[in-house]
Amino acid sequence: MTNETDRGWLTRLEEQSRRKQEQFMDGIAAKLGRDRIRSAPEHPFRGAPDFWNEFNWPLEEKITQFTANFEAAGGHVVRLSHREEVTRFIRDKAMEMSAATILRQQEDALDRLGLEESLPDALVLSWNEAADTDWRAVAARADFGVVMADYAAAYTGSITVKSAPHKGRSVSLLPTVLMAIIPIDRMVTRLGEILVQFDQAGREQLPAGIHFISGPSRSADIENDLTIGVHGPGIVYALLVDSYET
Amino acid sequence: MSTAETKAQTVKERAGYALNNEFLRNAVKFTTERLRLGKKLASEEHGNWDAWRERGRQIRLHTIAHLDYYLNEFAEQARANGAHVHFAETAEEAVAISLQIAEHKSAKSVVKSKSMVSEELHLNKALDSIGVEAVETDLGEYIIQLADETPSHIIIPAIHKNRYQIAELLSAEAGEALPPDTAIMAGFVRMKLREKFLEADIGMTGCNFAIAETGSMVLFENEGNARMVTTVPKTQITLMGMERIIPSWSDLEVMATLLPRSATGQKLTVYMSGISGPKRELDADGPDEMHIIIIDNGRSLQLGDPEFQELLNCIRCGACLNACPVYRHIGGHAYGGTYSGPIGAVLTPALNKNVAEWDDIANASSLCGACYEACPVKIPLHDMLVSLRRRKIEAGRGDKLEAMGMKGFSAVMGNAKRYRSVVSLGKWGQKLVVRGGEIRTRIGPLKGWNSYRVTPSLPKHSFRDRWPEMEQDIRRTSGTMDPVIADRLRERLRMQKSGKGENAHD
Repeated sequence: MTNETDRGWLTRLEEQSRRKQEQFMDGIAAKLGRDRIRSAPEHPFRGAPDFWNEFNWPLEEKITQFTANFEAAGGHVVRLSHREEVTRFIRDKAMEMSAATILRQQEDALDRLGLEESLPDALVLSWNEAADTDWRAVAARADFGVVMADYAAAYTGSITVKSAPHKGRSVSLLPTVLMAIIPIDRMVTRLGEILVQFDQAGREQLPAGIHFISGPSRSADIENDLTIGVHGPGIVYALLVDSYET
Repeated sequence: MSTAETKAQTVKERAGYALNNEFLRNAVKFTTERLRLGKKLASEEHGNWDAWRERGRQIRLHTIAHLDYYLNEFAEQARANGAHVHFAETAEEAVAISLQIAEHKSAKSVVKSKSMVSEELHLNKALDSIGVEAVETDLGEYIIQLADETPSHIIIPAIHKNRYQIAELLSAEAGEALPPDTAIMAGFVRMKLREKFLEADIGMTGCNFAIAETGSMVLFENEGNARMVTTVPKTQITLMGMERIIPSWSDLEVMATLLPRSATGQKLTVYMSGISGPKRELDADGPDEMHIIIIDNGRSLQLGDPEFQELLNCIRCGACLNACPVYRHIGGHAYGGTYSGPIGAVLTPALNKNVAEWDDIANASSLCGACYEACPVKIPLHDMLVSLRRRKIEAGRGDKLEAMGMKGFSAVMGNAKRYRSVVSLGKWGQKLVVRGGEIRTRIGPLKGWNSYRVTPSLPKHSFRDRWPEMEQDIRRTSGTMDPVIADRLRERLRMQKSGKGENAHD
């Protein structure tokens, strides 16, 4: 096996797996006492109960509920009216906390914040802006991670971020502080309103990582004593912006 | 498994150890109470809890009833995402595939996030045997790995350790004395494990749910270590029980509603991640190579078994542990398997194919049904425990003494005359063994019963003795019956006599 190439090894594993797969499925059908089912069965109970799917809060209620839930989980929520206020808020926090490195996703909406100019003394980097850099290591050293939320769900107080070549999974995970910008028109009431979109989009449209974040990293593993920031960011800001103009 | 409690052979011996360990008993009680209360509040606040449980149950029933289709679909879609899918019938096969991947990657270390399947496989020991360091990164799992122990609760694995013991373990790792302060200890673990994440060759996770239609796997967690493990190392291995499947992302909303609320009382865990294959070509993080090992290890034995198939509906929330009066007293290690509490009492013998032989953990339950009430997908665990006991007896592995006692009981109770004479005999005979109104002697017909219980002494005047007098009393003191009720009762009686009543068969 030592001379076998990686590709050859994986091909052999796949052949083995496909044989086994048939045995597995035949075995399941036999135990269930019927023939194999080869086309999608009718699924009468798909998703949440019907009464739930009709439930929606008006915008202000969504914001109130999101705020209450996110704060209850130990996160911070700030309501800002436009993009300039976001720049100011992040700049002030970075100065207050002496943030030396700020890592942001590389997207137009964040370019427009102009953090590089606002914080001349800090190192402001965009994810994957240079090819020969170990971006995971950069994220692990960063003080702030700045991301745009793709969605937010009020009922659970959750932010959703999807990965992409210029949107690293590490940016919302490895830095000490996470700043998530949520234009309020991306806020929905229920988790299901976000999840159903992945069904509608279909497999080929899904990114490798979809993450729901509902507060700072936490653990109660030592004597039930709540600890914040065990592995992920211990300080998380949700910045709700009325008109961001992305 | 190296501590004293695991050396004990039976659940009785292990429970005895646990009951003598006061810290353990209090810690388990406190933690389970906290989680149980959290669940109660969260499910009440959410509302319509039974409608959600029923929906969760229906989704799980549907998926398991069509498991060949959905599991096959998942495998195909996961491959289309670029993942390598493997099937393992046994724990040994799953271990062999994992080791092969580790060897092929020339891995020196594997960082792991919490996975009960990995506990089933005893994978850490296997990795160690080929010189690969396995590092548990969930804070609780890391602590018990340092102590060389096994988890005692599915959600809070180190429930049985106090902060002083933890400080001692972490100090040995740090090479300096750490104070028993939660924030300082957690800070040390964060720093220490950061290094491990960044240098590890392989990240290994379990799998809470696998979405058939898109080949995605979903992880629920609070610390962020499962995200680390799936984001930082170049190679990722996911260990997945073959029954973890749900059809769609829409179905995930139901599971995301039931699981965190039932486990910890949270509306959602801090992180819920859906991973669909390895990193895309232009992505700068996520694994280059992703392996998903789908494991049977006894699960498929439940398929087609009318009494146990619903075991496969379990979403591993731990709510039945927190609700169980027995678990709350004896803790997780007393169950002697990977899974503890009511679910463990049923799952361990079921997965081990030896329902009849497996120890006596099915007896570690009072059959009160609190587990069923707590279960977010309504698994009838208490019925399953009865079935297990029955199968044990049918296989001739029952307790002979108890069986004799039961036989005698039925002989005596089946005949009123015999009952009367036995009771009056007993009233005289018991004088030899009664101490303080109780009978604790384990001799003769009482041995099987009294090994675990105390028989109350027979009263001087039995209920039967007193009935004629009581009947007179009732007639004298109770007022006349509501004529409407009296009419209805008379009508019922008439129907019964003519053989037309619903209950006439009695």
